[in-house]
Amino acid sequence: MEFKKKKLTNGLAIIGEVNKSAKSAAVGFFVKTGSRDEGKQINGVSHFLEHMLFKGTERLSAFEVNEAFDRTGAQFNAFTSEENTVFYAAVLPEYLVEVTGLWIELMRPALRDEDFDIEKNVIKEEIAMYKDLPSYDVLDRCRSLHFDRHPCGNSILGGEESVSNLRAEQMRDYFTNRYAPNNMVLACAGNFDWDQICSIAQARCSNWQKQAASRKLKDYAGSKKKSRVEKSNLAREHICLISPGVSAQDPRRFAASLLGTIIGDHVGSRFFWGLVDKALAEAATMLFGSMDGTGAFYSYIRCSSENVGKVLDTIRDIFRSLSESGVSEDELRTAKNKILSALVIKNELPMGRLVDLGFNWIYLKEHRTVEDDISDIRAVTVEDVNSLIEKYNPGDFTQLSIGPVQSS
Amino acid sequence: MAESLDQHILKNGMVLLGEPMEAVESAAFGFMLPAGAAQLPDGCCGAGAVICDWIFRGAGDKNSRQLSDALDGLGLHRASSVNSSHITIGAALEAGNLAEAINLYADIILRASLKDDQFELARQLAIDGVHALDDDPRQKVMLKVREQFYPSPLGRSALGEIDELQTLTAEKTKQIIKNNFNLSQTIFTVAGKYDFDSIVAQMENLFETKPQKPLEAIKLVSKASKYEHLHNEGAQVHIGLMTETVKPVDEEYYNARVAVSVLSGGMSARLFTEVREKRGLCYAIGASYHTLKEAAGIMCYAGTTPEKSQETLDVIMAEFDRLSEGISKEEVERAKVGLKSLLILQSESSSSRAGGIGSDYYILGRVRSLEEIKNKIEATSDDSVLGFLRKNKFGDFTVVTIGPKQIRVQEHKS
Repeated sequence: MEFKKKKLTNGLAIIGEVNKSAKSAAVGFFVKTGSRDEGKQINGVSHFLEHMLFKGTERLSAFEVNEAFDRTGAQFNAFTSEENTVFYAAVLPEYLVEVTGLWIELMRPALRDEDFDIEKNVIKEEIAMYKDLPSYDVLDRCRSLHFDRHPCGNSILGGEESVSNLRAEQMRDYFTNRYAPNNMVLACAGNFDWDQICSIAQARCSNWQKQAASRKLKDYAGSKKKSRVEKSNLAREHICLISPGVSAQDPRRFAASLLGTIIGDHVGSRFFWGLVDKALAEAATMLFGSMDGTGAFYSYIRCSSENVGKVLDTIRDIFRSLSESGVSEDELRTAKNKILSALVIKNELPMGRLVDLGFNWIYLKEHRTVEDDISDIRAVTVEDVNSLIEKYNPGDFTQLSIGPVQSS
Repeated sequence: MAESLDQHILKNGMVLLGEPMEAVESAAFGFMLPAGAAQLPDGCCGAGAVICDWIFRGAGDKNSRQLSDALDGLGLHRASSVNSSHITIGAALEAGNLAEAINLYADIILRASLKDDQFELARQLAIDGVHALDDDPRQKVMLKVREQFYPSPLGRSALGEIDELQTLTAEKTKQIIKNNFNLSQTIFTVAGKYDFDSIVAQMENLFETKPQKPLEAIKLVSKASKYEHLHNEGAQVHIGLMTETVKPVDEEYYNARVAVSVLSGGMSARLFTEVREKRGLCYAIGASYHTLKEAAGIMCYAGTTPEKSQETLDVIMAEFDRLSEGISKEEVERAKVGLKSLLILQSESSSSRAGGIGSDYYILGRVRSLEEIKNKIEATSDDSVLGFLRKNKFGDFTVVTIGPKQIRVQEHKS
């Protein structure tokens, strides 16, 4: 494994981790932009723009883009979060140069009006699809409730209204500011030739214009509000809890991740033994998610309407016992084993490696090997986890539920 | 599909398969137990989901908590699933813990505690799982369409039916475990980093028994294709559609796979282009090949708002029909590259390989080599794919919709 990096004069960072024994290679553009970088008027634009990049350039139509990818057999796609838009592809090594060239070309899209209009329909369908997925819907609504006026509460997809009202011109402006080379990282992992990738990037990205792309970084402890939404077609109660956590830049993020696993891994966690094993809830998980300058613990619980009271009492007891007695050595050891083996398995695939490589550069401007992460996870102590519990009190959360209409 | 394959059969008939992988530190393993949904006695639909939970609630000399701690202590990522033919239980983990994990799984398979109080909890969770499906119309529509499409009992829902789960007893479920955890028909698979000789020795020690009587063959009852609508006041109409195609043993199998890829392999494939890119009817649209040992189909999903749902179904069905009218050389080439590349990308994941060699062995009675599959894909052409489509015109479509609006399914002329 060999790490390489280069920075073009316009600020575009190019990084790579070469592993000649891999059977494939992965490439991605990590753009530091997402729903938190949007004003209310244009909420949803980052995600919409992610779709529009596939619609082609001055030279290529949307269909030609899809054809060009498919000719290489690439497994390719993109995703948008609160703060990043990532375009990626996994391919056989012989196609990496071609696919990288294609992504580079797409990073300067045509953003045509007619494509914008058709794609707006697709986005509205995507919004409708997620409305029919209460496990997603509850998280989206709870995030808004938790972050309140902090921009991390912005919906990733945007609302029906903001998307309907969005104009292509507004998108083009947003694009110019946010898809600036100094706000992007080009990353590769697996079996590829570093010099070749660098020279393509140098030749084709050097004329991209630098911009003053900035982001408001503000930590936020959360609103701690409680709310419930009723939907007549639902059969179960879907509950989301969010409490504050540390940021992606904070060294305590490993301890926070271990705490999330101790409380809410899908098996063998406190939630599991308190709720799922006893059949009070059919699903009960907690995940820690770190972000730029802030972070949060997200819990999702699904149960019958009759069990809601018991479930919430049990959760209260779990958090109370955690703040009174903390976590045990055994729990921490088990959580480390789980996280470490997941890390190793994920990073065996170039595509898995690419994600960690890219995000480490986005958040830390740092190359971290898998071994760096392993040793930081191993070094976390019970005291580290307990002091997080004390500082962030996961039992003091924002709560939003979606469930069937109550009969009372 | 393997680059090199390890194979050994225990005296009782249990099959051990392994695919070594270079450059990985992980291993993945699975026990395929012949206790899938279609193998269960009538009236027990969902017993598989209960069993998958119940057997982990204590085994050997460990209670539920101790067993869970032991598994978690090895850092293994459990994967349990129930399909039509098998309950598969297994895990992915760091290779160094493999032997210890297999010992624990031997306890779970052969010496599960199966306590009555724990049964009630496992059954309640299975019932809750079926209720939760009502809040996931996309998954539900695909389960329903499979159930309608495959001859009974092949399409039975692995999650179960509420009424049958409610009458399921611990006694009946124990009997199913006794009959269907039949080692003589069990397939064990491992992929990644392992030593096959020591695995064989360990498995002989743990699983060598007298041969067990084979399970009775299931009787199949075919179903007439039809349209079913389930009303739900959701935001979208979820459309599930299936039509019959050839099985993996058929000599036309690779032509069928390429045809499905032309229809829905990548983003330049027909369905994505016509339904989403040109008309903006859907966000999610796709078709894939789906097979059991006894039958196979092409399975298609689309989710769309009510006012666009009729047009969406009409365009999808027209694309199925248009396929046999002509396919370009370029479309076939893209489909072939896509299939080959996916094959190699999947070969990097130990979990995916452990699953792949097992299903090959069950369905075909042998494991195909990577080279064989590549060559067979390579041997297809626009002519061979078109020839296949013209000889095997799509017959009737089984369609299920869930959502606020019912749509019309055109009478199909084959």
